[in-house]
Amino acid sequence: MKKAAQSEAPAAEFARSLVLTPAQDWGGWLLGKAGRAGLLLITGTSVLAVLLIFVFIIREALPFFRARGLGEALGETEWYPTHQPAEFGMLAMLFGSLYVTAGALILAVPTGLLTAVVLSDIVPFRVRQTVKPIIEILAAIPSVAYGFFAVLVLAPWMQKNLGLSTGTNALNSSVMLAIMAIPTIVSVAEDSLWAAGSDLREASYACGATRAETLLKVVIPAAHSGVIAAIVLGMMRALGETMLVWMASGNATHIPTPWWDLTQSVRTMTATIAGELQETPVGSIHRHALFAVGLMLLSFSFLLNLLTEHLLRRSKRVAGGTKR
Amino acid sequence: MRIGPRLWLDRLFTALSLMAVLMIVVALIAILLPMLWRGSSAVVFRGTVEFRRMQLEQHGRGDSDDVRAEVEQAARIRQGAYDLLEQFAIVVDPSGMEKRARQIHREFGKQLEHRGVPEDQAAELQSLSKRLRGELLAAFEATEGPEALTHVQTVLAHAGDMRLAGTVAAQYFELAGRYKNALANVDLGRRAEYGVLFRQVQEALRDLLGPPPGSPLPAIIKDQYGATRWDQATRHMERLLWVEKWLPSRPGELLQKVRVPMEQEFRGTVLTKLFPYVREHVGDMLQPRWTCYWQFFFDDSMSSHYFGGVGPEILGTVLVTALAIAFALPVGVATAAYLVECAGDTRPTRVLRTCVNTLAGVPSIVFGLFGLAFFVIYLLPKLGLREGSSILAGASTLALLVLPVIIRASEEAIRTVPRAYKEAALALGASRFRCFVTVTLPAAMPGILTGLILSMSRAAGETAPILCTAAVAMGPVPTSLMQPTRTLSYSSYDMAVGDKMAMLAPHNQFGMVMTLVAIVLLLNIVAIVIRGRISRKLRGQ
Repeated sequence: MKKAAQSEAPAAEFARSLVLTPAQDWGGWLLGKAGRAGLLLITGTSVLAVLLIFVFIIREALPFFRARGLGEALGETEWYPTHQPAEFGMLAMLFGSLYVTAGALILAVPTGLLTAVVLSDIVPFRVRQTVKPIIEILAAIPSVAYGFFAVLVLAPWMQKNLGLSTGTNALNSSVMLAIMAIPTIVSVAEDSLWAAGSDLREASYACGATRAETLLKVVIPAAHSGVIAAIVLGMMRALGETMLVWMASGNATHIPTPWWDLTQSVRTMTATIAGELQETPVGSIHRHALFAVGLMLLSFSFLLNLLTEHLLRRSKRVAGGTKR
Repeated sequence: MRIGPRLWLDRLFTALSLMAVLMIVVALIAILLPMLWRGSSAVVFRGTVEFRRMQLEQHGRGDSDDVRAEVEQAARIRQGAYDLLEQFAIVVDPSGMEKRARQIHREFGKQLEHRGVPEDQAAELQSLSKRLRGELLAAFEATEGPEALTHVQTVLAHAGDMRLAGTVAAQYFELAGRYKNALANVDLGRRAEYGVLFRQVQEALRDLLGPPPGSPLPAIIKDQYGATRWDQATRHMERLLWVEKWLPSRPGELLQKVRVPMEQEFRGTVLTKLFPYVREHVGDMLQPRWTCYWQFFFDDSMSSHYFGGVGPEILGTVLVTALAIAFALPVGVATAAYLVECAGDTRPTRVLRTCVNTLAGVPSIVFGLFGLAFFVIYLLPKLGLREGSSILAGASTLALLVLPVIIRASEEAIRTVPRAYKEAALALGASRFRCFVTVTLPAAMPGILTGLILSMSRAAGETAPILCTAAVAMGPVPTSLMQPTRTLSYSSYDMAVGDKMAMLAPHNQFGMVMTLVAIVLLLNIVAIVIRGRISRKLRGQ
């Protein structure tokens, strides 16, 4: 009772609110309101940017779909934009994009996840603090530098040592894309593994599980949303990569036969846009076709993005312990 | 499962995981090392006298007296090689001597007229000269050694003719003498065969030492100089001393590529002396010396990147990046401030966040498409500016690309400012706006700076968005923001796959990408250091 009385005493002293009412400090009030409104306006830029991107890509792509329809774009593999009559089958390059991306993921997912596991669970904190920046540097190297390496170092090496007819092929791009996707996978996966918390781990160890069992059977399943999000983000990185695949994939518009032969040249959607955009005149059907390819890429990345957002929100909820 | 195998599996898992990390580190080293190492050879290398001559003539660098002295000293030793070449050239390609013989005949006629020699005597001498010329030409054209020799002997038999002494026609005998000497060492039957190889020797020597004395100055700067670098010189030496041939290793077997010494191909001719001479004296001919060509980072390139540096590319990259950051930073920080300070977890905020994430996920080439459709073709012409790619359009496109990077970094930075700071400011009666500007923002500044630096490195390295909005492979240094520019990133691409001339100068190829990678790495290392400081501070150390 005595304590309560003590705490009430100051409260009585400040009975009147210390915060100034708008009438007392109209200048400050106005400034605050104006600042808020201004911020909201500037914040709108990002929303506007996204809208503008969609509007302008669709606007430029529409004439193509009007003239040729979706059927030709997705039903045929022949891409001969400069022939008479021109053909705009996008299937081969769609396949090429998915092909190198899949090749990259096969290499990058195990490596990336294992690295995330190492950083979150195996090495001490101090080592983690030094290894993480190294992986970040891998993410920071410009894609054109990776492409440069792929063309001038890796491709001749492959040609010489693996006996291939050309060094710029799907294998080359897949390996390089894997290296580029690994940092994304590592950082997102490691975050979610870290967020899974020590309770789970300690409980598992207490049951007598080894570290490998704990990680594989408890931690990773618990953090699966985040891990999947990491893989999807890595996939987005590989799918949207331009300069590297343009330089290293060989740019041959065909579906490899047999399909598993990674040493053949392929061509991706991004590389097609990059390679042909400069040569097309404004308003030509060829340019509209390239924007249609761009629209496809944009929709892919938008959908994958919504997916990762959903996954990451769920992983946060799991970590926060408010799982439904 | 029994405990033994379980422990083994556990160890296997650990080993595999550590291997994955090791693989990543190895990949990083394998990628960075060749680019940085070979790229650094664009700046530090063994420069030859040709390099110093180029620097003097093209840029006015270096002590002109020293360089002149060096060039002269080298030229004296080179003359030995040129003499040997000349002796052989007479036989393989006597067209120069043919021309000279015809010229002598014409001049002789004029001389006779000029001296006022009586007409009948002049006619006689004219016909003699004509005969001598004919014999010489026949000797030059002959394909058999003895046949050529007979013709030469016929000419030389007239050497004692007093009527010709002191006239131009006496030069016939000089030509004949030289040809006779040369014939002694050459098998005329192999003249056609020599031709191809001899051209290779001539070309290799030209690439090694520059244009031979007395020849007209080539128009292309690349051709005005020999090997400017010692590594280049060794490559040319290789071409000079060895020839690749397809030979059967044993009769009747498949052809194999064999390296044969060039000396062996010219066996029995005067040219065999050339190869040991060049091999022994190449150091004196070129005088290699370690050089630090720091001007590489400032010079414009010459002869499409064969000579020169990356100055305009660095300038273009800096311009585009700085402008992009200038656009994106205020917007990014304001958005982050709004997200942290003003908005809770409401629907508009969620939409905003989704938009930022979408923006971050848009492939870079789609930004390029958008930049082309919106800034280059739509917005800038609407504003009354020039249509076409420009630094402004490229920077605007890149600004959108780095916007999410800045927003995320700034949001993180503002969020991690300790609550106590803010509460103290508010308790002192500061308004929220004031509190943010004077307390939260300065405290968040290092974090924002990190984001800024990282987005700079991102913007500097991106190529796809500026492909059609700002970058060109060749062109003048821009004088306004409405012009396109060369950039490090696009030029790296162009030199790696597009530029034929650059293939001849791999050091410059790698130098370009090394500059780009070095800038990006430097920015990242600075960011990492700053972030390390912040995290230490937050942990209270």
